[in-house]
Formats: sequence, structure tokens, C-alpha cells
Amino acid sequence: MAILKLYSSSVTACTRRTATVLHELKIPFELIEVDVLSGAHKTPEFLKFQPFGQVPYIDDDGFILYESRAICRYVAAKHPHSGLIPTDPKAIALFEQATSIELTNFEPSAGKAGLPFYLKKLGWRDDLEDVPANLEILDKKLDAYEVILSKQRYLAGDTLTLADLFHLPYAGFVSLGSDIMTRPNRPNVARWYNELVARPAWLAYQDGVKTTTEY
Amino acid sequence: MVLKFYASPFPVAGGGIVALALAEKQAAFDFVPIDLKTKEQKTAEYMALNPFGKVPAINDDGFVMYESRAICRYVDEKFAGQGTTLVPKGTKERALVEQAVSVESMTLFPPLDKVVWEVVVKPERGLAPDQAIVGKGLKEISDTLDVYEGILGKHRYLAGDDFTLADLVHCGYLPFLVEKGVDIMTAKERPNVARWWNELMSRPTWVKLQAEGMKSTV
Repeated sequence: MAILKLYSSSVTACTRRTATVLHELKIPFELIEVDVLSGAHKTPEFLKFQPFGQVPYIDDDGFILYESRAICRYVAAKHPHSGLIPTDPKAIALFEQATSIELTNFEPSAGKAGLPFYLKKLGWRDDLEDVPANLEILDKKLDAYEVILSKQRYLAGDTLTLADLFHLPYAGFVSLGSDIMTRPNRPNVARWYNELVARPAWLAYQDGVKTTTEY
Repeated sequence: MVLKFYASPFPVAGGGIVALALAEKQAAFDFVPIDLKTKEQKTAEYMALNPFGKVPAINDDGFVMYESRAICRYVDEKFAGQGTTLVPKGTKERALVEQAVSVESMTLFPPLDKVVWEVVVKPERGLAPDQAIVGKGLKEISDTLDVYEGILGKHRYLAGDDFTLADLVHCGYLPFLVEKGVDIMTAKERPNVARWWNELMSRPTWVKLQAEGMKSTV
């Protein structure tokens, strides 16, 4: 069976998300670099696999899949013992609630605040104009997170799931320019955040995602 | 105790897609209207159900959850033996549904949300739409629908040949545009999208929901 191929830039947010989960699951993968700065993801050859012209996509022994969260769900489903997706019916529902919280209540503002900090760090673009307004929105959302995380250790319950890991790229990027994730008035958010960014799977690709065949 | 379903009384947006999912699953529920005009969703009582202060939410005999797409998944699992299967069980089939649901959330919905705010919400508050935002948003939506055109040329629905959650989630916000006279879903240049959209809008569950509104089944 062929090694899982991850087609992407080595540094983009959604690739970091995907690679973090692959690392958590100890899945060997080959990174095939797509040069997004020169528009390699918009060529007809690329669009045949990912018609929206976005990275990443995977080729798992011939099965093509895109959308980082869908990829993460697929690989976690193949490794049910990991617990990254629960199996008990109510736990699954709370997991789905948590993944939806991430994409509707976290990503919009954390992405718009975090990505500019990250792109500036990469030297790709220096434009922080949208950041303050989005930090303000994120600040209010994190107050709700504080309520949730004061009752349970992780976003879906007391065990780590994909829902927590999905936050990593943008939570990490926001912290490049703001202390919003670790303020003393939200001790539970800080506790949860600090645990996430200390995970080896996140730290492994700080300088970019690379082919990983051994763990 | 029967499932309690909290939402705005209009069969639109997040509440609308949960109502549609409940109908697809032939599920019994008790509808509890939440008045957005008086900001009932921001009261302490409601926020005990959803700390983000948004509708919809459910209370299924003490099991509380929110986030419309998550509620649809829960309803699909709970009533697995009846109605339409919204998320298939096979690993690859399920992955393709998740792929399509992710496209809706991450690529289609953000500009759609902005356009709906401008052309629906602002006029309700006596404010004029910002045409620059509307124009930019519609272009982004149109570009995404161009990709859908290719996908829907290969199979009947977004994730394959069966109606799934991936199609259902599109019924929340796109109808707002159609109601405002934006014909983006039935543009002649995208016959596959038009075919798919017309199929969605003529699903008996959808037609009944729009005609009768949000109603308890009990």
C-alpha cells in the first residue's frame, strides 16, 4: 500500500492542521510541495484534484480528498482507537457541536487576526489592518469558551478530540501578535491553549511540514 | 420527554436546516420559538443552553446541544432507522460528505453570510446595503458555484448520487438570495447547479416546511 501523499505548501495553515493530526495518529506521509506563491494550486493539473484551487489535498492510495477538516476526520476514522473522534452517541454529538463551534465561533475571527501575523512572520505580506476588529470579536467568543472550559477539560468533554486540534493553526498564529489566548481573566482558556501548543505534533512542524515516515 | 427545539420561528438559517433535518428523519419534537427581535437569545436563561447566545439549540430529555450542523448530525444518528440517511456509514462515502460540508462552511458560507447581512438584515433595520460588499460577495459565491457546476456534472448531489447533509446545509442561507430576486442559483451558464437547486427546492420536506413553518409535531 502506498504512503499517504499530502499535496500542499509546507507552511500554510490548513496544511499545519492536517499534518498535526497525521502526527498525532502516527501516520507516515509524504509532503509533495505545491508552490502556492507562484500559483501552482491554480493550474489545470492541480484543479483536476482540488477544483477549488486550495491546499491541501491528499492521495491515500488512490483516494483523493480535500478540505483539511474532512481529511483529519477521514484519517481519524481509520484509527478509531485514538479516540480523536468519540464513538459513544452522545459523545459524538458533543464532538460535532465542538467542531462546529470551532468553525463558526473561532475560525472566522481567529483566522482573520492570526493569518496576518503569520504571513508577516513568513515575510509574505505585511498588512495588519483587519487585526484589531477581529481580535475584538474573538475576545467575546473566548469568554464563551471560558464558560465551557471551566466545566470540562477539552471542548467536547474531558478527552482530547479533533475539535481541539482543529484550533491549533490559528490559535498559534494569533499568539504571534496577541496575548488573547492566555489572559489571566480566562484561566481555563489559557490552560487549554497552553496544553495544545505544547503537543509534540504541533511543535514538530514549527518550521514547516515535512515528509514524516518514522515516529 | 420529546426533543425540545429552540429557534427563531422562521424556517430559515440555522434553525431552518435543523427543522429540515428533523423532517427528513421524521422525528418528533416540541418547537420553542425564540424571539430574536427582543434578543431573547442573549438572555441568561437561553445562554444557559448556548453560551454563544445563538439559535438554534435543542434539549433532548436533558441532553443539550447547539450549532445547527452538529444538531443535524445528532438527529441523523439518533433516528438512524428512519427517514433519509444524512451521513453515510462507509468510511470513504462519509469522507466525501465531510469534504462537501466543509466546502459549504469554509468557502461558500463566509461571503454568503456577508451578502445576506447587507441585503436582508440591514434593510430590516432601516440601513442601506453596501453595494461594494454585495458585489464582491456575489462574485465569490458565483466562483464557488462554477466549481459546483463541475462537481454536479459528475453526480446528482454534492457528495455522490444521494441527497446528504452536504446538500441539506445549503438550504439555510441561499434561499435568502433567491427571495431577494438574485437568480444566482438558476443562472443559465450553470445548468447542473440549476438542476440540483431546483431538486432541493422541490423536496417535499422543504416545500412543507416553507408552507407550514416551524411547528411542533406533538
